[in-house]
Amino acid sequence: MIFSQTGHRRRNLRLNTISAPVETTFHFILILFSLFCVIPFLFVIIISFTSEDSIRQIGYSFIPQSWSVQAYQYVFKLGDVLWRSYFNSFLITTVGTVLSVLMTLMYAYPLFRRDFKQRQFFNFLSFFTMIFGGGLVPTYIICKNVLGLSENYAALIVPMLLSPFNVIIMRTFLQTSVPTELIEAATIDGSGEYNTLFRIVMPIVKPGVATIALLNALAYWNEWFLALLYIRQNTSVIPLQYLLMKMQRNADFLAKNSHLLGAEAANIAVNLPSQSLKMALVVLIVVPIACAYPFFQRFVVAGLTIGSVKG
Amino acid sequence: MKKILALLLTLVLMASVFTFAVAETTNLEPVELTIMFHGSNVTDDTAVLEKVNAYLKDKINVSLKVIWGTWGDFDETSTMSLNAGDPIDMYFTCSWSKDEYNAYAKKGMWVRLDDPNNNLIEKYAKDLWSTLPEVLTQGATIQGSDGLGVYAVPGYKDIATQNCWDVNVDLLEKYGYTLDDIKNANYYTFGDILKTVKAGEGDNFYPLLVEGMVLERMVTNSIIVAGDSGSTNLLSYYINPTDTAELGSYGNVMLNKFATDEYKKFVDKTREYYLAGYIDPGLAVADTANDLRKNKQLTGQYLIGTQSYSLGYELQASQERKIHVEMVPVTPAYVDTTSSQGAMVAISTTSANPDRAMMFLNLLNTDPYLMTLLNYGVEGIHYNLTSDGLVQFTDKRADYQPWTNGMGNVTILPATVDQGVGFWDKFKAYYGEAHKIPIIGFTFDPSNVSTEQSALVNVAAEYALALDTGAVDPAEKLPEFLQKLNDAGMQAYLDESNTQLTAFLAAK
Repeated sequence: MIFSQTGHRRRNLRLNTISAPVETTFHFILILFSLFCVIPFLFVIIISFTSEDSIRQIGYSFIPQSWSVQAYQYVFKLGDVLWRSYFNSFLITTVGTVLSVLMTLMYAYPLFRRDFKQRQFFNFLSFFTMIFGGGLVPTYIICKNVLGLSENYAALIVPMLLSPFNVIIMRTFLQTSVPTELIEAATIDGSGEYNTLFRIVMPIVKPGVATIALLNALAYWNEWFLALLYIRQNTSVIPLQYLLMKMQRNADFLAKNSHLLGAEAANIAVNLPSQSLKMALVVLIVVPIACAYPFFQRFVVAGLTIGSVKG
Repeated sequence: MKKILALLLTLVLMASVFTFAVAETTNLEPVELTIMFHGSNVTDDTAVLEKVNAYLKDKINVSLKVIWGTWGDFDETSTMSLNAGDPIDMYFTCSWSKDEYNAYAKKGMWVRLDDPNNNLIEKYAKDLWSTLPEVLTQGATIQGSDGLGVYAVPGYKDIATQNCWDVNVDLLEKYGYTLDDIKNANYYTFGDILKTVKAGEGDNFYPLLVEGMVLERMVTNSIIVAGDSGSTNLLSYYINPTDTAELGSYGNVMLNKFATDEYKKFVDKTREYYLAGYIDPGLAVADTANDLRKNKQLTGQYLIGTQSYSLGYELQASQERKIHVEMVPVTPAYVDTTSSQGAMVAISTTSANPDRAMMFLNLLNTDPYLMTLLNYGVEGIHYNLTSDGLVQFTDKRADYQPWTNGMGNVTILPATVDQGVGFWDKFKAYYGEAHKIPIIGFTFDPSNVSTEQSALVNVAAEYALALDTGAVDPAEKLPEFLQKLNDAGMQAYLDESNTQLTAFLAAK
């Protein structure tokens, strides 16, 4: 039984397969591409475990002269500051992703419904902001003075809640995967609007939701600019990314201005993290989001094959 | 009738004087002030601010909030806050990073402090003003939105510039030379010493550890022109290397830094040193040059370096690098616009209480207790005093490290253990002796030629550092560079700066 099954599959596969040389080439290209993605990260990990002396002597290298876990020891000694910002990053990403997915779905759904009269207007509203931005300073004034987004978690979440681009992706996804008949059928069976959206439509567009969720989670996880703008005093809410960016920007500033600063530059340099420490922080930042990716990927791949109306 | 009027007038006058006097002596309204500093590394300021606020409440009934701007973020966040009109009362400002002082004074972002109609300095900061050396008050007087005046309180810090050869004495003496051999030589005659040391230390050793742009200024005796592009200077003003108060060889004129004979001679020599293996090729890469330089310094892998000096730096460097470091000056110390406007605190026009802000600045710059508290932290927590009255920092200092020089009058601080007893007297003597250069106070305003400036900076970023460190061949690249500068509008940029300089000198 088992044998016949695999034999059956193999025959089927053979029907769809491409010739061996072409397949080899494709594999080669894809392997090369994956290596390009993986090697820099491996390099970062290696540097984070390289001793500072080795970096001083021979620079960055895949095979350092000596290894050390000093950078990680230092990072863990940061203690409160580190764990606090780690926690903040998780909190902001989780809350932000859930809220932004919810908002995107609830904005895109009416735009997809043909029986919604103000469709055109709301379509235009989101599309318009995609092309014309208000500029940084007005945005800052609105967020800070009108909405009170300053020195709190909201300042790191609210400005990124709704992206017109995601709305368009979601709307298109709804249009292609949810037939109007299904909604009509649901209405006839007595389902209210919210019920239809969350119990009927939502399960069908799960892959779309997962895609948006992944995009948003990445955006929230990597965000540091909002923290720079809105968090000046309450450092207990800053995310991990900003902690790293702060160090990086200090180093950049020094590289650019050291010829103006004179002896002062040496005093500044004392407070800069070592090379391996920077890389250790990068590892800490990348690992969680890299681990989250496979979970989302399951839905994204599934989205290619499932639908509500088969055949 | 006239008498009554006169009487009435006197009464009014007396009343106003009386109310003024009352306002001075009786309780002031409680006010909250916010100040934004540059270059801080502060993670925990609660203990300090608690004490500061308790002290300020008694003195001027102010509670202080501090925004600890960092090196990397200050430019961006301060610009944002100023443009958005955030309710921040005082900002750190200076002329070097984004020229916030001069540019923002013109835009009307700073309160004029010596406004004839409301002279805040006269009213609340007489003490402060009398303690400042003349170069600082003169350097702070600029053309702003309310006319020629003072728009910020200059900080009394290391106000002079002096470029020095940073010499690794241990290594020098290993090869039988003494410090005098460096003192009696100059950049063009270093060749023999460099050759001996290079031969002795091997191929991987590069005796010259230079910061390209600093080296260029040291060798050609040119200075940074305030208002010129910060990242890559384009303009040059040549000072007199023996007496900086006198005119240099070119007189009072701005020149294209890269088109002078001095520059040609300098890059040719540098190329020669580079090819001989005296200069590390890594120093020509802008992004990493600084890290490389720091690493080589810390491991003592150099013979002669470049350093813009600040008093006592050789001791600090010797300690950090665990070698004997000496500084050999190239010119006497001088004060130019850039260094006189190096660190200042301005009162924002969005401040609701500019008067109180001025009182606070006066107190901060004249009261050793407040300055020490805000700068070094709380005694017993962040530092302890030794029996000599010197400051010995504790581990807690790591959580609270504001930029010492960015706060104001640092000469009222106690000396640290590293600085030693009597440091501030030496400090005042050293900086007090520094001469003003002839064009002190001049700041170039590039707003009319900003398009040219950004184009020129892009060109210069491509060539300047590579030429200054000898990484490219000047015979081929220098003419190409000059041509590109010309194409990008160097002449217009130069003419504009000279027009402004002539106008400035005429007004002076």
